[in-house]
Amino acid sequence: MQMNRTPFLEMNHVAKGFAERPVLTDLNLSVCPGEIVGFIGPNGSGKTTTVRLLNGVIDPDAGAISVGGYDPRVDGEAVRRMAGVLTESAGLYLNLTGRQNLRFFADLYGVDEPGRADALLEEFGLADAADRKVGTYSTGMKKRLGLARALLHRPRVLFLDEPTNGLDPEGIRMVLGYIRRLNECDGTTVMICSHLLQQLEQVCHRYLFLQGGRVVEQGTLAELEARYFPTVTLEVETDLALAGDHYHGVPAARVGQGRIAFTLPSRGDVPRLLRRLAQEASVYSASPVQRDLETLYFRIRGGAADE
Amino acid sequence: MLAIARKDIRAITANLQVWLPMLIVPLILGIGLPLGLVLAFRFGGESLSLGDTQVMLGWVDKLTTGELGAVWPTLTSLNQKLIYLSTNYMLAPLFLMIPLMTASVISADSFAGEKERGTLETLLFAPVDMRSLFTGKVLASFVPAVVVSLATLLLCALSVNLAAWPLFHRIIFPRLNWLPLMLLVAPGVSLLAILINVFVSARVATFQAAYQVGGAVVLPVLILVVGQVTGVLVLSGLVVTLVGLVVAAVDVLLLWQVLRRLNRNQLFTSQVR
Repeated sequence: MQMNRTPFLEMNHVAKGFAERPVLTDLNLSVCPGEIVGFIGPNGSGKTTTVRLLNGVIDPDAGAISVGGYDPRVDGEAVRRMAGVLTESAGLYLNLTGRQNLRFFADLYGVDEPGRADALLEEFGLADAADRKVGTYSTGMKKRLGLARALLHRPRVLFLDEPTNGLDPEGIRMVLGYIRRLNECDGTTVMICSHLLQQLEQVCHRYLFLQGGRVVEQGTLAELEARYFPTVTLEVETDLALAGDHYHGVPAARVGQGRIAFTLPSRGDVPRLLRRLAQEASVYSASPVQRDLETLYFRIRGGAADE
Repeated sequence: MLAIARKDIRAITANLQVWLPMLIVPLILGIGLPLGLVLAFRFGGESLSLGDTQVMLGWVDKLTTGELGAVWPTLTSLNQKLIYLSTNYMLAPLFLMIPLMTASVISADSFAGEKERGTLETLLFAPVDMRSLFTGKVLASFVPAVVVSLATLLLCALSVNLAAWPLFHRIIFPRLNWLPLMLLVAPGVSLLAILINVFVSARVATFQAAYQVGGAVVLPVLILVVGQVTGVLVLSGLVVTLVGLVVAAVDVLLLWQVLRRLNRNQLFTSQVR
């Protein structure tokens, strides 16, 4: 979608291992400014390591990394000044209050904007709890405060590790909504590491699948669908008496009481099938079988594992 | 740098379990004990001084050089001698222990605690260079240690002199040789304890472990040093100054080593899980 622009995040042939155990083998990725990408992969696939490398807190064994034009290994401070990171543990001081935590990190990041901390506390529904110690917060509140902390200095790029883990539905909506608005208003580039694929679908423009230390697949949901699901499956509630496994040349299979699944070459074939069906039988409902990110995830994992 | 120091100090003051012992121990050792000594000797010096005390006093009588040699003849009564000796010479180890303990407790919490609670990761993700981070954390332990020791000395001097006034009618404590002790040796030894705790913290998982290793390995060694140092207090302020300079030199050497080795990648890899 924004492929013609210079990438904001770029990694070329990056390798990183710890104590002889390779985590990343040959990682290549590029993220454009203003993109929200979902970074998907099983536990231990190297998502967290990638975020750490991009922020220059650890050094790669091989390969080139660029963040906003800077090499994190050389200009780490410059990268960290424009990056906001929410780690999985949120990294807050439990014996300080929410407000004290934000004040400290505002000092640390040199935030010279009075009222910024209060505005964020308000934004994330923590104004009432601002003067309570963070140790008394619920998991969801800590997560929200962690996100507020990561946003204090108005970062140009945001790295979020499982940002909605432990949040209740309201919290999830609040956080995802904020990320979307932030991206739309400020053009903030966002990289979200998550397992909660359904939530990623609500915000991400594009997805990167990490496995075996490299990006095995990437693209928008539509691109990935086209690649992994060449056909459209339509499930129809009908009283049609299906004889055999085809209906006028369309592969069909009975999937339940009064339900038939038709497999079509493309979306364009749906109306013709429905018109014909309506002439020959009663049609109560028809819907394409959901091909969500989760199905894709297992398709891609399966494919990558086969290699 | 100051932000980190401020945060650490705020975290300590916010935690009753940490600062209460740090306040009570100096109060007891630095004020309660000296006051008790002075009052006991003031009202019951004769009955308290048994054989051993007489031997010690006889030994001091023979000292003719140094600061004590000059003051000793002006002290006429046994009570005066006991009070002068016990306050100016026997309290010294306590006043080295107070900053030492304060520095150890805070630095164990500040360095190993940061790692244990997973906040070190967040700190390393911040645009703060390693030297500021390290210096801020050292200051957070060092400044309270020095402030607590000096405040305790002030209160101690106030109460000792008030309690001893009817006997002396002048300020008897502290003598001038406390100046190098409190301004050079005490801060130097505190910094030493902090730096040792930095090394300990890098090798243990929790702040309790840091505190225990610090308490079991570091403190006895330092107490030994402290004991020796305060022994020479009897001799002269010059020797104390020299000892202080040696401790300072060791501090500088350690600091230089730490600052030279500080590396974000290395620290992150070894300290963040």
